[in-house]
Amino acid sequence: MQNERIRQDYFNRDRILEQLRSDIYLSGTYVRDLLLEQDPSRADSHRRELELARARIEDNVAAYQRILRGEEHAAFQEFRTELDAYFTSLHPALEWDASQRRAYGYAFMRDSLLPRRMTIVHIADQLSAVNQVQMQGGNRQITNLFSRFRRTMIVFLVLALACGALLTAGSIRRVMRLERLSAARLSDAEHAREALRELSARLIDVQESERRSLSRELHDEVGQSLSALQLGLGNVAALIPATIAEARAQLSELRILAEKTMAIVRDMSLILRPSMLDDLGLIPAVQWQAREVSRNHNVFVQVHADSIPEDLPDDHKTCIYRIVQEALRNAVRHANAKTVHIDLHHSDLRQSDLRQSDLGQNAETLVLTIQDDGQGFLPEREKGLGLLGIEERVAHLHGTFRVDSTIGDGACIHVELPLSQRPAEVEV
Amino acid sequence: MTSIRIVLADDHTILRRGLRLVLEREPDFAVIGEAGNGRDAIDLVIRENPDVVILDIAMPLLNGIEAAKRIHEERLRTAVVILSMHSDEGYILKALRSGARGYLLKDSAETDLIQAIRAVNAGKAFFSPAVSKVLADDYIRQIQQQGVEDPYDLLTPRERELLQLIGELKSTKDIANLLGVSPHTVDTHRAHLMQKMNVHSIPELILYAMRKGLIT
Repeated sequence: MQNERIRQDYFNRDRILEQLRSDIYLSGTYVRDLLLEQDPSRADSHRRELELARARIEDNVAAYQRILRGEEHAAFQEFRTELDAYFTSLHPALEWDASQRRAYGYAFMRDSLLPRRMTIVHIADQLSAVNQVQMQGGNRQITNLFSRFRRTMIVFLVLALACGALLTAGSIRRVMRLERLSAARLSDAEHAREALRELSARLIDVQESERRSLSRELHDEVGQSLSALQLGLGNVAALIPATIAEARAQLSELRILAEKTMAIVRDMSLILRPSMLDDLGLIPAVQWQAREVSRNHNVFVQVHADSIPEDLPDDHKTCIYRIVQEALRNAVRHANAKTVHIDLHHSDLRQSDLRQSDLGQNAETLVLTIQDDGQGFLPEREKGLGLLGIEERVAHLHGTFRVDSTIGDGACIHVELPLSQRPAEVEV
Repeated sequence: MTSIRIVLADDHTILRRGLRLVLEREPDFAVIGEAGNGRDAIDLVIRENPDVVILDIAMPLLNGIEAAKRIHEERLRTAVVILSMHSDEGYILKALRSGARGYLLKDSAETDLIQAIRAVNAGKAFFSPAVSKVLADDYIRQIQQQGVEDPYDLLTPRERELLQLIGELKSTKDIANLLGVSPHTVDTHRAHLMQKMNVHSIPELILYAMRKGLIT
């Protein structure tokens, strides 16, 4: 912008000076032509042309004066003085007639006109030179300006880059810190979950062993004592003579009470943990449970159990039994089922599907399916505590658990428990 | 009069005392020994060769079922009565498999004990009436719920007779004599019977006879 203005200014001045120079030259030429002219009419025409040139010179001088710069002042003043002197010096010669011109013309040209013209042109050249210098000054100024601008730009750029780098470094640090933090939180949460899982497994274990010992205590100690009490009462009754009818009647009532209490204790013991599970094994316990439910709730419970190994691990026995118990409870209490099919089988994939065992999967599995014809439910919404408990138990034994049910179309529980435990995870 | 020699095995002293008192009311009963666990019971049976041994199911060291099995395996002549708190057929089947002749519920021990000992001593089977009732009820209900035909209805009169005799724990030789056929024929009939009933062992046949109320 500024550059352009400076250049424009320079060209403007240069143009005026150029015109001045050429007009001054022309004026000299016109004077020479006049001095050499013999024909008066042509001399007049030269004179007019000279006047015109002079008028242009005056115009240009006036124009230049308007844009005059301080440092040109002296040169311009000199230029004007010389110019005035030049025209003044011309004056007498213009008035000469043809003979005078012929007589003095040449000498005038040589001695006055040409030197003066030279002087003026020289001054104009000086002005032009000044102008040139001015323009170069302008250029320098521009260059300076540019280099200053560039320096400023570089400084800004460097600053901006530094700021950016700082910002980036800060952001990266913060992101990394957040990432570390979130990784720590994640591992904390994972640990917490692991601990919770362990706790829940432990709770299940503890609950089961508590139940077992309570059940045994009730059955063996309380039950046996009641049996003994009953027998004792019978023996005492036998010793009492038939004549003391009142005592015999009371003893008989006591015996009935002992018998009822015994039945209650036995039921409590079986509810806690059926002794069949430990005494007879999984299948008899499941069959007993099925019969109990059939007997008390008018539900047809069918058990199919094929080739189940007798020496199942205790955890597996308990797990399967509790699942059956919970499923039957749901089928009776909530689903209003009329029939329940329990299918338990043992599948040995090592024989039938080598590919699976190659993948390191557990080849031996217990597969339990419990299907009822009740009113069904939405497993993802109505999963009660019981089913959650089953899930926990199954997960603890690395098994899979699935409930398929739709409203009005019964429910099917499907459980698979691997039998060959993975060594690393036996004692968790 | 030769008395019936009896060994009592139960880990609860007070219960043993109660049973002993019941047994001693019978003049021809003689309790010749008591044991507090299954191992002692076996030793006692081997040493004393009693007519009847009463074995509680739940005993330390060796339970009553295992003890009965050992006695059976040793081919001792002693008849075994299992004493139990359970009327569940799982236990009864297990007792039958162990070779026991009698299954007595503790609830009704006082009233049934004498009868049980006399029955097994005479080579018969004995099961507490409460047990037989539970089995029969379960069976009837199951047939109804399943809506199937009772396989008993498909049996020939001869097979029903055989089933009853098996339920009474008669030996093949006895059954052959009673029916006037050869032991081989008895075996053939029994195989047919088991096929029709869809059972795989004699104890299961006995259990079935109980369900049908063929044994009392």
